[in-house]
Amino acid sequence: MGISSIGFSGLNAAQAGLLTTGHNISNASTPGYHRQEIVQSANGSLFTGAGFIGQGTHVQTVKRVYDEFLGRQVLNAEAGATEMETYRAQISQIDNLLADPSAGLSPALSAFFKGLQDVAANPASVAGRQSMLSAAEALVARFQGLDQRFSEIREGTNQQISAQIGQINVFSTQLADINQRIIMAQASGTNQQPNDLLDQRDTMLRDLNKLVRVSTVTQSDGSFNVFIGQGQPLVVGTRSSSLQAVAAADDPQRKTVAIVGAGGTAQLLSESQINGGSLGGLLSFRNESLDAAQNALGRIAVTLAQNFNDQHRLGQDLTGAMGQDLFTVADPIVRVNSGNGGSGTPAIGIDAATVSELTGSDYRLSFVGGNYQLIRLADNQTRTFASLPQTVDGITIDAATWLPAADDSILIQPTRAGAREIGLALSDVRQIAAAAPIRSTASLANTGTGKVTAGTVDAPPPPNPDLQHRVTISFTSATSFDVFDVTTSTTLASGVAYASGSDIAYNGWTVRISGNPASGDAFSVEANANGVADNRNIVLLGGLQTRNTIGAEAGSAPTATYQGAYAQIVSAVGSKTNEVEAIGAAQQGLVDHAAQALESLAGVNLDEEAAKLLRYQQAYQASAKVLEIATRIFDEILALGR
Amino acid sequence: MRVSSGMIFDAGIASINRQTASLLKVQQQIASGRRILTPSDDPVAAARALEVTQASDIVAQFKENQNYAVSALGIEEVQLGAATDVIGRVHELAVQSTNSTLTDSARAGIATELRARFDELLGIANSGDGTGNYLFAGFMSSTTPFAGTVDGILAGSDVVYQGDDGQRKLQVSPTRVIEVSDAGSDLFRRIASGNGYFATDYAAGNSGTGVINSGAVSNPAAWNASASQQVAINFTVTGGVTSYDLVDTVSGNSLLTGAAAPAAPGAQRVFQAGQPIVLSAQGAEAPFDLGASVTITGATADGDSFTLAPGGSQSVFTTVARLIGALEAPAGTPAAKAQLASEVGFAVTNLSHAANRISETRSLVGSRMNELDSLGSLNEDLDLQYQQTLSTLQDVDYAKAVSDLTRKQFELEAAQQSFFKISQLSLFNFL
Repeated sequence: MGISSIGFSGLNAAQAGLLTTGHNISNASTPGYHRQEIVQSANGSLFTGAGFIGQGTHVQTVKRVYDEFLGRQVLNAEAGATEMETYRAQISQIDNLLADPSAGLSPALSAFFKGLQDVAANPASVAGRQSMLSAAEALVARFQGLDQRFSEIREGTNQQISAQIGQINVFSTQLADINQRIIMAQASGTNQQPNDLLDQRDTMLRDLNKLVRVSTVTQSDGSFNVFIGQGQPLVVGTRSSSLQAVAAADDPQRKTVAIVGAGGTAQLLSESQINGGSLGGLLSFRNESLDAAQNALGRIAVTLAQNFNDQHRLGQDLTGAMGQDLFTVADPIVRVNSGNGGSGTPAIGIDAATVSELTGSDYRLSFVGGNYQLIRLADNQTRTFASLPQTVDGITIDAATWLPAADDSILIQPTRAGAREIGLALSDVRQIAAAAPIRSTASLANTGTGKVTAGTVDAPPPPNPDLQHRVTISFTSATSFDVFDVTTSTTLASGVAYASGSDIAYNGWTVRISGNPASGDAFSVEANANGVADNRNIVLLGGLQTRNTIGAEAGSAPTATYQGAYAQIVSAVGSKTNEVEAIGAAQQGLVDHAAQALESLAGVNLDEEAAKLLRYQQAYQASAKVLEIATRIFDEILALGR
Repeated sequence: MRVSSGMIFDAGIASINRQTASLLKVQQQIASGRRILTPSDDPVAAARALEVTQASDIVAQFKENQNYAVSALGIEEVQLGAATDVIGRVHELAVQSTNSTLTDSARAGIATELRARFDELLGIANSGDGTGNYLFAGFMSSTTPFAGTVDGILAGSDVVYQGDDGQRKLQVSPTRVIEVSDAGSDLFRRIASGNGYFATDYAAGNSGTGVINSGAVSNPAAWNASASQQVAINFTVTGGVTSYDLVDTVSGNSLLTGAAAPAAPGAQRVFQAGQPIVLSAQGAEAPFDLGASVTITGATADGDSFTLAPGGSQSVFTTVARLIGALEAPAGTPAAKAQLASEVGFAVTNLSHAANRISETRSLVGSRMNELDSLGSLNEDLDLQYQQTLSTLQDVDYAKAVSDLTRKQFELEAAQQSFFKISQLSLFNFL
């Protein structure tokens, strides 16, 4: 070895340094690029009598500055952050929908009740009735409009799920491909790392991980395997599986995720297995917020429609006929699992008497071990029945038309269609049942001071068929009376003891007589013919505005008015949005922190590269000087011979 | 810490983005005047605002109902005032007709005016609210409540009430449902006849000049407990002595003896004109107690009879018509004059019941209107309170928002300037 070769080795090393620095500078803003540096070491020295004499230098390798631990931290944080970001983007659609005080349910509800009060103030006025009917139409339209918006958001979510899955498939194919190239590069490069390929693969993984949380296992040949969920392999070495957006078995309107294995068979992934990333965000948004909000809105619609129908049927319209249904009530949605072995569908209905017990949850009814098992999906409360029909949480379940095989299941969505399918059942203003169907009269010949109340019709509907019979209450003495149905000529009761102000109830009505009736006094209850100015029933309907009618636990009193229940939706969506934003901000903070730590280690600092540039330039110049001196020395030697 | 060039740019841009976003939010709050732009800004306040909005809407509705109630009650008040005037005038005419110097034709003149008053009163009872609804028909506001004529009544067919007893009510506060109408049956038809317990009458064939008053119940408990409430006072004149028997017309027994009427002349009471006839056992009479007394003035003839029976009710129209009938009948004989005097007496008594009923109802209407007044101011206070609550919940605090805006603007400018400065630093500047 000579001085020139030493100089030459230095020259080479400095050149490699300059090349690497130049590479760093030019990739300073390449996403996912990690800075590289040369690892330079001295050549083995030569032993002479005078000791070891250095032999110059060489470049061992070009190293990629990277920390796998920091990289994993970034992946972890990013999966969480994109999940929250996607969730936020979705739920803020509902948040904005409910934000406008003039666009939500609240103003339509108020206008409807105002219409009722107008009819109460002037029951005989056709104009007032028309405005009430218009307000009812507007309310129905508002329910449907809000539901339509929910459905659009649901459809958008489905489409995004499909789009995300398409992208995931692209990434998994590319990752398998890049694995292949890395294996080949590493095999041919005598174990030198293909730094830029590794950067590319890490970038791709980072992008994939933003779509759905993945985990990786590195193999000895340089490739890595990628898993999603609970270890479902997405990429194994150079082979990739693909995901598919498929309709859920028990709900064709619900896109869910399946993985297609090597054999081409699609296997459904449970939604709880997929978390993190925007796909995870979409699925949890749909499960936690969208379903809940749409069901809750539907619950208000179903309860309101049922309550109004019940009261309306106890009234009498302007033509003198008994009230009909005011609204059409949506039936629960029943979805038969496509994998069921049995046949038929159970009959599921809304139970009018316990409609206040409706929850916002969906239910799964399964036939397990000869018993019917009902799971409330919101809180997984399970109830087992040996036989049906049963009434649970405001719905009736009758399996007479269902012939299930073992382990068959159906999905019940009691209120999902509530807001979409509520309708106005009346179109003629005269059919608004503002009046009560009965009236009471004290005989003009009465000599006592007894007074009779106007009378009320006993709930629930249907009203007693004898309701409108003419019935007389005749006092046989000051302390007892007989009750006689004139229409059918039957004695309903005789010798009833009289107590002032207590209920007297027959044929489905209740009146009260107070004061001191005399013997021979008579009171009568009869059909309210021509009672066009009677507003008793519409006043009762109007009273529903402030009555708690929603959210009863079995056997207890309801806890919310319609408006209160709507406020609950607004509050729940608002809180969830708020929560998602807060968690999202925290996750973003983690991402920033982890990315900063990685960037701090692996990012290119141009000042540093400038310094390195100077350093390697000087090293190059110095090595060149060494060569020059070697030449000059050689010249000196040649000059000796001249 | 090692800092990469990318970090300087990323961090700079990120902080400028953050500042811009929060600046925009304050700007939106100021522009819209709302503190809560979406429910997520303050979920609890957003939900509460909805509930308060409903409460405020309901108060507004109650205000409308109150206005409606006040107008309905106002109309009723006016008509009741008119009815009071008419009944007052009828009362006046009735009293005037008792003047013994009046001739038949003068009485007929009074009767003519009474016929006009009858029609006026019927018109009031059948009055409408201006929108085609009858005021006093109960729930049957499209049915004319009263039908009848003076001649019809005199021929035996009473005025017919075609409405019902319904009373319209309106909710005017969360806890108050107020009556906004009164049924004509109560106002005009169901009016106690006589003294409130019983009504007196004379037999059509009386030949004496006895006039019975409407009597009085001094012991209501005894009246209520009394087994016989329908009594005839039968007069006998024997040897210049006028005596009377009290007969329970249901059983046919004399109350004085407890045995079948008539009682022996000796067992009968001696009549003294103008002295109250006490309807309870005196001396050795069989026990009976109606807790009441009547007075008969004038000279009664043998065979004259007067009755009393539980009054029931009599419509004000019947009262007026009967008075007209009495005034139009010729009163030439003393007996006819006595009958006229009795009739006028009954009419005056019944008219005062009718006037009382109307004025009671008027004062009820007045107190309802008073209540509506105070409810109105209560509702206004409530409304103000709700508006304040809503404003606290929803509205932006401008002083705070504007100061926030200035501060955030300053922060954004600082971030922009510092970023610009730092990004200028590079070693390459010196190479």
